[in-house]
Amino acid sequence: MRAANRGDAAAYRELLQAITPVLRGVVRARGRMLGPEGCEDVLQEVLLAVHMKRQTWREDAPLRPWLYAIARHKTADAFRARGHRIDLPIEAFSEALPAQDIPDPTQAGDMEKVLARLDPRAADIVRGFGMRGETVAETAARLQMTEGAVRVALHRALKAVARLRERMME
Amino acid sequence: MKTDDLLAALAADTRPGPGVAQRLSRALPGAMVVAAVVFALGWGVRQDLVAAMTSPAALKPLVPLALAGLAGTLALTLSRPEARGGRTATALWVFAVVLIAAFGAALAAGGLSGLMTDLFTPSLITCLASIPALALPLLAATLWALSAGAPRRPALTGALGGLAAGSLAASLYALYCDQDTALFVLPAYASAIGIVTLTGTVLGTRTLAW
Repeated sequence: MRAANRGDAAAYRELLQAITPVLRGVVRARGRMLGPEGCEDVLQEVLLAVHMKRQTWREDAPLRPWLYAIARHKTADAFRARGHRIDLPIEAFSEALPAQDIPDPTQAGDMEKVLARLDPRAADIVRGFGMRGETVAETAARLQMTEGAVRVALHRALKAVARLRERMME
Repeated sequence: MKTDDLLAALAADTRPGPGVAQRLSRALPGAMVVAAVVFALGWGVRQDLVAAMTSPAALKPLVPLALAGLAGTLALTLSRPEARGGRTATALWVFAVVLIAAFGAALAAGGLSGLMTDLFTPSLITCLASIPALALPLLAATLWALSAGAPRRPALTGALGGLAAGSLAASLYALYCDQDTALFVLPAYASAIGIVTLTGTVLGTRTLAW
C-alpha cells in the first residue's frame, strides 16, 4: 500500500488482488440474501472506495483495521440502499428456467449500468484498462492522447464512476 | 464487469488523490486571508485593543482559538475511517464542561437580571450575524478539505469542522467586539459558534458522505 500510494502500479495491483478475496469473504458473510451477483456488486463498491480513499490510510497505521472500516462502511451503506430493492431468489424460478451455464461468480452487473451512463470516451478508457488489459501506452496510442492525458482521463473516469454509483444508491 | 477487470482499471490509476491535511493546508490560509480582509473592511479592531489584550478580555480571542485547534484536530482524526476520538475528544468534552461551569459561575454571581442586561443588547445581533458571516470562507475550506476524507460519521465530522470554523471566526470577531462581560461573551459566542456548527452538521451529512 505504501508503494501504491507513491504510484507503483504493479505493487498496487498485487495488493488489490491480495485483499479482494478477504473483502469478498467479508461482504458475502454479511450479505447472504443479496445473492452472489449482488455481493460482487457490493464488493466492487468497496474496492472503488478503497481506491478513492486510499490517501486516508496513514503510512504508520496498520492496514487491516483501515480496510475493514472501509468494507464495513460500504457494506452497511449498500445493504441499506438495497433494503427496499427486491432481489427475488433465483431458486424460486429454477424449475421454470431452462438449465443454463453457471454464471461467472465474479461477474457483477451494477458496474455495467454505471459505465453505460458515463460519457463514452471515459467508459471506453475504463473498459480498455479493465477488460482488455491495456497499458497506459497502448491506450494513449489507440486514442491518440499523451500518456499524461490518459492517466488524467482514467483518474477522472474512476472518480465519475464512484460518484455515479453513489447517486444510483439513493 | 468482472472484479478482476475493475482491479486492473484501478491499479492503472496511479494518480494519488489529495489527502485531507494536504487540502487543508492548501485552502485554509487563503480562507483565513479572505476572512481577515473582510473583517478589516467591515469590522476593524476595537479602539482599546492593546488595553483589552492585557486584561482578562484577552481570553476572548484565545479561548475560541484553542477550541478551534481541538475541534480541527478531532475532525482531521475522524476523517480516517478506522479512527476513534481518543484523547482529543476527551479534551474537547473537558473544554465544554469548563466553559459551562464558567457560565454557571458568572450566572450565579450576576443573577438572571444581570444576564438580561448584559446579553440582550444590540451587540447580540451583531455577534450572532458577524461570526457566522466571517466563518463562511473558513467553513467552505474546512468542508472541502474534509470531503477528501472517509469519515465513518459524516454528520459528526461536519459538526466538528463547523465548530472549528466558527471558533476561528469568533476569535477574529473578538478583536472587534467590545462587550467583555462573561454573561455576554459566553452565551452569545457559544450561540454564534453553535449556528456554524449546526451548518457544518447539515452540510457534512451531504458533502462528507462517501
